Amino acid sequence: MSKSKDTVEKTEVLDETANMSDEELFSFVEYHHDDAERTGYSNYSYWKSVFKNFLKKKTAVVMLCVFLCLFVFSFVATAIGNYDYDKLIPDNEHSFESPNSEYWFGTDNLGRDYWCQVWYASQTSIKLAAIVALGECVLGIIIGCIWGYTRKIDALFTELYNIMTNVPNIIYMTLIALMIGQSFLIMAISMTAFGWMPMARQVRNLVMMYRDREYNLASRCLGTKQSRILVKNILPFLVSVIILRMALSIPRTISLESTLSYLGLGLDVNTPSLGILLRNSRAFFLDFPYILIFPAAIVSIITVTFYLVGNAFADACDPKNHV
Amino acid sequence: MIKYTIKRLLQSLLTILIVVSIVFLLMRMLPTDYYFTPEELDRLSEQEKNDRLAAAGLLDDPITQLLRFYQQLLRFDLGTSRRIQTGVPVAEVIASKVAISLKFGSISLVISLFLGVVIGILQARYKDGIVDHVGTAYTVFVNAVPHLISYSLLLIFGSRVLGLPSMYSIRDPIRSAILPIACLALGSTAGYMLWTRRYMVDELNKDYIKLAKIKGLSTREIMFRHVLKNAFVPLAQYLPSSFLLTITGSLLAERFFSVPGMGPLLADSISRYDTNIVQALVMIYAGLGIIGVFLGDVLMTIIDPRISLTEKGDAR
Repeated sequence: MSKSKDTVEKTEVLDETANMSDEELFSFVEYHHDDAERTGYSNYSYWKSVFKNFLKKKTAVVMLCVFLCLFVFSFVATAIGNYDYDKLIPDNEHSFESPNSEYWFGTDNLGRDYWCQVWYASQTSIKLAAIVALGECVLGIIIGCIWGYTRKIDALFTELYNIMTNVPNIIYMTLIALMIGQSFLIMAISMTAFGWMPMARQVRNLVMMYRDREYNLASRCLGTKQSRILVKNILPFLVSVIILRMALSIPRTISLESTLSYLGLGLDVNTPSLGILLRNSRAFFLDFPYILIFPAAIVSIITVTFYLVGNAFADACDPKNHV
Repeated sequence: MIKYTIKRLLQSLLTILIVVSIVFLLMRMLPTDYYFTPEELDRLSEQEKNDRLAAAGLLDDPITQLLRFYQQLLRFDLGTSRRIQTGVPVAEVIASKVAISLKFGSISLVISLFLGVVIGILQARYKDGIVDHVGTAYTVFVNAVPHLISYSLLLIFGSRVLGLPSMYSIRDPIRSAILPIACLALGSTAGYMLWTRRYMVDELNKDYIKLAKIKGLSTREIMFRHVLKNAFVPLAQYLPSSFLLTITGSLLAERFFSVPGMGPLLADSISRYDTNIVQALVMIYAGLGIIGVFLGDVLMTIIDPRISLTEKGDAR
């Protein structure tokens, strides 16, 4: 229907113009340099579209706000609590008190205030996860770029990768805990040292994909420096993947940290992380569920936030989804 | 294909050799005090300690020890356990643990594969419906939140509401196995759901599906004859390794429910310095990982004849 209508209108327009001469139909426009430049400019900015697309994902935005509030509140909470973490003393008379006005989250098996422990632990876990995610990202990108861009070392790196990923991580972690010790710094370094591999592998695959595209070939022929090709021509394509990996590495790090701490291979007992709290809760939470629920709720909010935000941001970063 | 298989197997063998050697030498870097229990350390004199170590050949140069280890390996001799079960051959220790882990792992794998694929299909079929949203929320929760927490929540639910035992015990092997298996299945179900849904949705957007619809095929026929078959190919790649890796057990779940399986054995044997068990385990872990990937590739070529491993050189 609509199609035939279009054709009818078109023929009418054609009829009107059929008798006109070229001079009537066309007129010359004066040349303006600025006008010529303006053609085709659509006011498109990559990062602006990224944020516009990101803001459309309501769940992710809400979760991000909740997380930020939580993070800020963890500092407020340690300040306003009735007890200071450094001054906690075991007090058997007060063990397993349910949450009340004195102990806002109750007390643990040794009668220590749980409120300050939980918030202190959240800060530790967030700090650790952020450091590890950043470290993994930097190491992974650098090594992945070199690995993907230099043909000669590809076989060597692939073999190294196979060897490293085929040894279960738990071996490295146990050996490190035995040989070097357990502390926040050691934990951060060792988790970064064995966590960059998936990132490097993915960056390598993508770099290999984009390395020999025609525009890079042309760039190379024109004598562009390799480092410039890598940074200007290839890396921008990896932004969404890198951000996704980085965001997902936060829940993974928290998860790994809690597992390791649970097994006694993670942080030492005096640096409370959420993993240590969960480990301590294992023996008691069937009788005193609040011991599990407070740290569990906070961990869940943090990890789910980064999972959702990472996915949403990666979608938003993909230029294919832009207008 | 045969040439390719042989080449790849040889490569894998080399990788395993290197991995085992590295771990062997790493373990030898620790001080020899670790070979003794704390009480032995107090009780024995330096002389006695040295005699014992020398008798076990542990004072030799690490390279000599490594060569001796490989010679024994050629005779299929893995040595005996030193601390975990003193004096018992390593093969025996591991075999008894593998049996348990394999049982738990394979039951949970079957459950999660079935549930995951079925729910994944439903999610893709009724995309953006209630099933899809609930399923997505579930996968997000399981993937994001540490397993320690989801296990704990399941444990509270299981033991408080259903009255199931919170620890595995040999006296009540069926009822006390329910929670560990449920926990193991919990995580992998989410994985299968996620990927089944993702691959099926990808497949549903393809042109040949539009053609099938135009031709007048029923939805059921499209979903099962076309979409599922194609979507299952990438999933099949991971099946062999997930099955093989059930042998290695799950460190967290088995420790959490005190299941005497393979999972905690590695960490235990390292921290108690049972080097013979560590070496055997590392060999098993690395070998299973590599063989699993290889079998996955082979399975994929069998299911989907369009894929060839040899044509592009190395397919991975």
